Amino acid sequence: MNAKFFDNWTNQLRKGVLELCILNDIRNRKMYGYEIVRSMRKTEGLIISEGAIYPILSRLKRQGLVETFIMESPDGPARKHYKLTKQGEKMIAQMNAYWQAISGATNSIEKGKI
Amino acid sequence: MMITLSENAERSLHDYLRRARAYLRGSKSVDADEVEQNITEHIESELEGAAEPVSRDVLDAVLIKLGKPQQWVPIEELPWWWRIIFRLRSGPEDWRLAYISFALLVSGLLTLPYPPAGIVLILAGFLASRAAVAEAGDTTELKAQKWLLYPSLIIVYVFVLLTLLTWPLILAPLADEYEHTLIESSSRFNNEGDYWPVAISVIVAGLGLWWSILGAVVLKPRKLLRIIFNPFAEKLRSKWAIRLLLIGLVMMILSIGTGIVYYQRLI
Repeated sequence: MNAKFFDNWTNQLRKGVLELCILNDIRNRKMYGYEIVRSMRKTEGLIISEGAIYPILSRLKRQGLVETFIMESPDGPARKHYKLTKQGEKMIAQMNAYWQAISGATNSIEKGKI
Repeated sequence: MMITLSENAERSLHDYLRRARAYLRGSKSVDADEVEQNITEHIESELEGAAEPVSRDVLDAVLIKLGKPQQWVPIEELPWWWRIIFRLRSGPEDWRLAYISFALLVSGLLTLPYPPAGIVLILAGFLASRAAVAEAGDTTELKAQKWLLYPSLIIVYVFVLLTLLTWPLILAPLADEYEHTLIESSSRFNNEGDYWPVAISVIVAGLGLWWSILGAVVLKPRKLLRIIFNPFAEKLRSKWAIRLLLIGLVMMILSIGTGIVYYQRLI
């Protein structure tokens, strides 16, 4: 029962955090899909199925938060890269601010400071 | 795909992408073609440097990390039929859809004397089985559930297959219906004994012609057959289609020849 509760909770949390991490990653540098997956792999427990990253990218694109462009590569085929749109930049700033606030408050609650 | 895959790996990839497309096409928030392109590029990047042709085991390791396509899209974004399937079969250990399929089949067989209830129930059982197979993706995941799911599929597939193979035999009742008209209109047919050998030759030639066409058609687009007869058409080979084509041709030539020779002897 507890394991199921924990699974559900992590699933819900992971979805939002994954979107936050992807947008932050793209904000820092233009990346192609597989590159984003490799980057996300480095964070333990963040992705359960690697394929889930691609529908998220597609959704972010449909929502106008990211856009794609083809970039030639010196050591491989031309690849479709992702970058933030103006709307995406505003959104990630809002999301980061919210995340900072909520994680700070969560830490305080955990430590019994509130 | 720029990397060469073994035949088994090719089939595994094809099935995986087909399932991914099926899930993604139903989702309103994602572009299925774009995701498929990304997934294909991902697989190519992962397999870069692997010994070619890439074996199924190597490919499956990549696909396992990619995860099941149903994990990619939130259930609320899927079309209603997928949501029903997921509610009835949440995973490999969930037998509910298998039980429902089998119960529908048994009810269908018991009510077969009272049409159309029996037929409707058998078809509903068939759809439930197909849904379970589609949800599982890989049939090895079904394990013992196959005993409950496959009977519904086999009954419908056998019926479809027999219909496909034998429908030209409807020429037989037609030949019977027009027997007197044809005998009267022909100067060569004096009685039923003259008429039926020629009529049977024409019917068998028609059947042969149909089998040749069927063999030629299924020689290439085996993908269509795999979809229709899923999951049993997985092991379909071209040689079976060639055999059907050749048998059909031989039947047609022999029947036409026999018919012509017999007809010419009639006075």
